[in-house]
Amino acid sequence: MNANTAITEPLQSAAADLLSEGKVAVVIGYGANGDSSLAHPEFVRKPEDAERLVFDERCFGNLAVYLSKDSIRQMGKIGIVVKGCDLRAINVLLREHVVKREDIVLIGVPCAGLGDPPLQKCSVCEQRNPEGCDILAGDPVEQPQVDAELRYKDAADLDAKSLEERWEYWRGQLSKCIRCYACRNVCPLCYCKRCITEKTIPQWIESSAHLRGNVAWNVARAFHLTGRCVNCGECERACPMDIPLGAINQKMAQLMNEWFDFQSGLSSEEKAPFTTFNADDPETGIL
Amino acid sequence: MKSANVDEQVLYQAAAGWLKSAVDILQGAGVEVIAPVETDPGVVELAAVNSSDAVVTDYANVRLPLKQVFFPISEVLLEFDKQPDSDLDVKSEPVASSQEVVVIGARPCDVAALEALDKVFHWDYDDVRYSARRERTTLVTFACTSPDAHCFCTSVGGSPHNTAQSDVLVFLGADGQAQLQVCRDKGTRFIERLGDAVKRAPAGTTLPSPPEVAARFDSEKIKTWLDENFESDFWTDVSLKCLGCGACSFLCPTCHCFDIVDEANWRKGQRRRNWDCCSHPMFTKHASGHNPRPDQASRCRQRVMHKFKYFPERFEQLACVGCGRCTRACCVGQNLVGILTDIEARAKEGNDSDAE
Repeated sequence: MNANTAITEPLQSAAADLLSEGKVAVVIGYGANGDSSLAHPEFVRKPEDAERLVFDERCFGNLAVYLSKDSIRQMGKIGIVVKGCDLRAINVLLREHVVKREDIVLIGVPCAGLGDPPLQKCSVCEQRNPEGCDILAGDPVEQPQVDAELRYKDAADLDAKSLEERWEYWRGQLSKCIRCYACRNVCPLCYCKRCITEKTIPQWIESSAHLRGNVAWNVARAFHLTGRCVNCGECERACPMDIPLGAINQKMAQLMNEWFDFQSGLSSEEKAPFTTFNADDPETGIL
Repeated sequence: MKSANVDEQVLYQAAAGWLKSAVDILQGAGVEVIAPVETDPGVVELAAVNSSDAVVTDYANVRLPLKQVFFPISEVLLEFDKQPDSDLDVKSEPVASSQEVVVIGARPCDVAALEALDKVFHWDYDDVRYSARRERTTLVTFACTSPDAHCFCTSVGGSPHNTAQSDVLVFLGADGQAQLQVCRDKGTRFIERLGDAVKRAPAGTTLPSPPEVAARFDSEKIKTWLDENFESDFWTDVSLKCLGCGACSFLCPTCHCFDIVDEANWRKGQRRRNWDCCSHPMFTKHASGHNPRPDQASRCRQRVMHKFKYFPERFEQLACVGCGRCTRACCVGQNLVGILTDIEARAKEGNDSDAE
């Protein structure tokens, strides 16, 4: 049994308390789906339903994606179960004024890692114990020291290839894209009411699933998330065609770290490089 | 479901090596062969093959459904060109060439799904591109041997040994041997081509029993509930977790909605037909800005209603073959069988309260 499972009980009682005291209208957490390999998002609105909540190694989803949904927001104040990785996305939503801090109650869950074997993102996680939450369910877990080199390993592995090899690799991967937009819809930071790929006057991105359209879409997606993406890995998990989108995001994160000494989502107060003027900024990459 | 006892007229036996012979013979005759191949570790897709070496036989199902062979994810309908010193030139993209295609190794659920697509594409308008591709293609299906927990073909009128729309149904045996059941005329021609690689099965030969796929719901009861519950809180509740991505629709073997787009520069361009999806808000958004399906609840409802109410009303069959791709692909664990069994339970509750 995964170490995460011990959190289920304190999580259920925290959610039940919040609901019975009227502090929130809904708690967004995870529910068990039988013996499925994925715990699904669960929306609990009555204290007695809090027993439906679980926390274990199957709680992959980044629930922050629901914070920008009208159907959820109209319920009232939201309690949300957050792992350390999810909290980083919420920090970005807070700094981008998509969500107000007073409209949400953060129920932090210490997380020893997801999946069996653990996901790559979990092996380099430095936020196992989410900080700054309103409630912390369960006891903190040990936070191993992480080798910063490993943080961007997928990107570094691809960088080791020649330009031609790299293009060949991405050409193959992006050719698989079917333009279902699961990557966009699962992303907590893709909250635009109308995505650039849906704009037609003018049409910036061709909607056809040919290589030209797929490259345009995937590059636009990466650009719009640069300096914002927290590498939660949801896009790659959701992709039905198994395109390694995480490696693209990692590359962007690596450059942000290298050029601006910046990692997105570590705090809601952070000054994001692309929305802050700094005369000392490096001009690397500006043609 | 077909009986296990099959008329010897249509049952053949093939010795080990038949698949290699089949691919070689077809290639020699200039036929394009499409078969399951491993494209990424653990991922099998239908793709054109040059030899039987690449063909995978021990797989559950292909990732992208068979429909892509007849209804491609993106296809050119016409090309246009307007140069300053000439009239507008419009060239209609030719329909599929007459080159024969044999698809070896699709699964019965994906093949049965073509029955739904045939009805749509031959409905109020004969879709010449779809028809030409269907016309030139022979379907040599591999009977399903390894359904998983998400499969539910038996709940929607199918079976792991369903012969619907297959020209030949192949039962792969041990050591590369096979039994081939001819289902349609094109299948007879395929068998003739194989020559010595196959021989008539002796009288009394029986086919293996299909693997167990438990029936999960009664689609008639579901239809009855859907008839009465266009407006129901159920749709709001069931759609809360749906993120409105198109993974379920795009991977669905019966989903067939498309978008037509022009892609052009100042002078020339193409008109294309692309897969589309009713989960996306833009699918129904009008030019006025009005959207008749303004929220995910109405879009989730549409997907279920279309498959289990509207399609049966129009075409007397379900628009679902129980392949389970939608559930496997869903990143939030949405489960179509779960939705349908919930509906069935509500239908029963309704009946109970009536009885009281």
